[in-house]
Amino acid sequence: MRKTYWLASYPKSGNTWFRLLVANLRRDTPVDINDIPERSGIASARGAFDSIMMFPSALLTHEECDRLRPMVYEVLAEDDLEDPDEVETKIGHTRFVKTHDSYSYNPDGSALMAGAKGADGVILIVRDPRDVAPSLANHNRTSIDEAIAFMADAASNFCGHRDRQPNQLRQQLMGWSGFAESWLSQVDIPVHLVRYEDMHADTSGVLGGALAFAGIDAAPDETVRAAGFAEFGELKKQEEERGFREAPRPKMGKGPGSFFRRGVSGGWRDELDLDQIARIERDHAPMMARLGYAPAENAAVAKSAPPTQDRIERMTG
Amino acid sequence: MAAGVVGVMGIARLYQYTVSGLSVASELVLPGLIAAEDMPGVSPDVVIREGEVPGALEDVESLGPTWQVGKGRFLLEVPGILRMLLTEGREIVFATAEGVAREEATVFVSGTGFGILLHQRERIVLHASAVRVRDSAVLFCGPSGAGKSTLAAALSDAGYDLVTDDFCGIAMDADGLPWVQPDGRQLKLWQNSIDRLDMADRRAAPVRKVLEKFYVEPRAASTVALPLAAIYVLREARPPAVPGIQRPNIVDGALMVRGNAYRPAMVRRMNQQALYFQAAAAISQRAGVFTLTRELNFAKFPAVIGWLEAHWTELGLLEQAA
Repeated sequence: MRKTYWLASYPKSGNTWFRLLVANLRRDTPVDINDIPERSGIASARGAFDSIMMFPSALLTHEECDRLRPMVYEVLAEDDLEDPDEVETKIGHTRFVKTHDSYSYNPDGSALMAGAKGADGVILIVRDPRDVAPSLANHNRTSIDEAIAFMADAASNFCGHRDRQPNQLRQQLMGWSGFAESWLSQVDIPVHLVRYEDMHADTSGVLGGALAFAGIDAAPDETVRAAGFAEFGELKKQEEERGFREAPRPKMGKGPGSFFRRGVSGGWRDELDLDQIARIERDHAPMMARLGYAPAENAAVAKSAPPTQDRIERMTG
Repeated sequence: MAAGVVGVMGIARLYQYTVSGLSVASELVLPGLIAAEDMPGVSPDVVIREGEVPGALEDVESLGPTWQVGKGRFLLEVPGILRMLLTEGREIVFATAEGVAREEATVFVSGTGFGILLHQRERIVLHASAVRVRDSAVLFCGPSGAGKSTLAAALSDAGYDLVTDDFCGIAMDADGLPWVQPDGRQLKLWQNSIDRLDMADRRAAPVRKVLEKFYVEPRAASTVALPLAAIYVLREARPPAVPGIQRPNIVDGALMVRGNAYRPAMVRRMNQQALYFQAAAAISQRAGVFTLTRELNFAKFPAVIGWLEAHWTELGLLEQAA
């Protein structure tokens, strides 16, 4: 029986790292970063939509696509595509599918991600918004201030252009707080919360916990090995040697950016000014508190914040 | 072909087109296709009309969420817009959803509908745009968004007549040589591309009222069948892929051709894998299959056209500069 788990995250929160960890499980050598699925690996890819519906998403408005997307996820959850363009991120019969879509409902009341018919659960990856901001600025080739404004905007999206064909279906992000809220408050599928900071502190343990949530038994030595293969230095080295196809695109005279930038938690302390820190904390105070990200003046407390995992798992069963 | 005439009865006005070498009589005005002379007494190969479309087929052989296949028939619904029934490669009957103008059906009938109809006729149909280079056609393949139409538009302005946009029918002649059947007189471009390519003065009707995508007149279009000289599979230059034109090995080239079928799932559902593989192998041998890897950046078009012209000279499609 095929199982599907969404890997949901606000952009720049560790989704690719998590997929690389999964891809490195039960391997003898580190996986090539350019071998993890790209186009078909994300829920907003156009290829699956076009091939399942038999007409192109490009001839529809974003709103029309949204209405039909649940059908696509239902079919994908049921079927093994006979001749997929790319392999998916899979362990056995369990698919892990990246998404930057917030959890939303169409005007007819159906869940965009098809609710329980689209997936068996979601691994929600969150990261301190103060670390997301500089990383997002680097990825989008914008200023940090623009990234902070983007994260605060509940109407923000990826691939939402109307005068050209975006390379993926539109993803409505709902802002940093709204994104996490949307996935945490839905009751259609169980949620397993992973904090980027906890992935840093105990990569193997967090990976093992997430895999267990998805019904996959992985022995500690297996997760330790995968964690080593997907260690930041290894990923960075691969990107420096051969490049990474998911790296930021060149923009206005700048060459391609690097995807694996710093790979740290708490880097915001030397990347943001006081005003920027204050803005992010003001924009996202309730969700930061809920996820255990303490305000700057109490930064020391953040490290000892109680894990929110137990509470969330209890909440969602 | 007499069976195709059945649908003509009772139709007030028919518009004549040539699509992929087929004569088409349509109740619907189909912008972007090649208008043809009315030939009294001659039955068209394909009839397109508005009419009753069943909600489901009786003898379903395979189905998806929006389509059903059964015994020479293909039923497709674009929810909220239209339903259409395609029969044995010779008839398309469409019905728009309540409150939807029939003009909204146009792009789905002429694009998706005709593409599937050509599959029913066991034609080789690739997701490709094509231009004429002297006496041959060269194709640009790739998934939706790969930049096929935009490149064809830039090339048409550089003096290479448009042959097809979006989908491309290929016929193999008695000697096994691939020929490209022209499909269109107009390009379909997004407003951003129209602006960047400076083609605003040639912008015609929107593809759909709700989309900022328009029919655009090319500088010139070719209406004769041309031998297929080269297929370029478009790739975005992102690491580790490097910019330039490369020739894959013959097996990879054949797989790329098959993978760029207009609807790969149709090839599977209609059990045409062998047909496509043979054609793809023949195309790989007779014509060149290449990858064209470049940045998705309008400023790079002159450079990319330069690479292509150098490559066409190398292939003997253009003569050497004196």
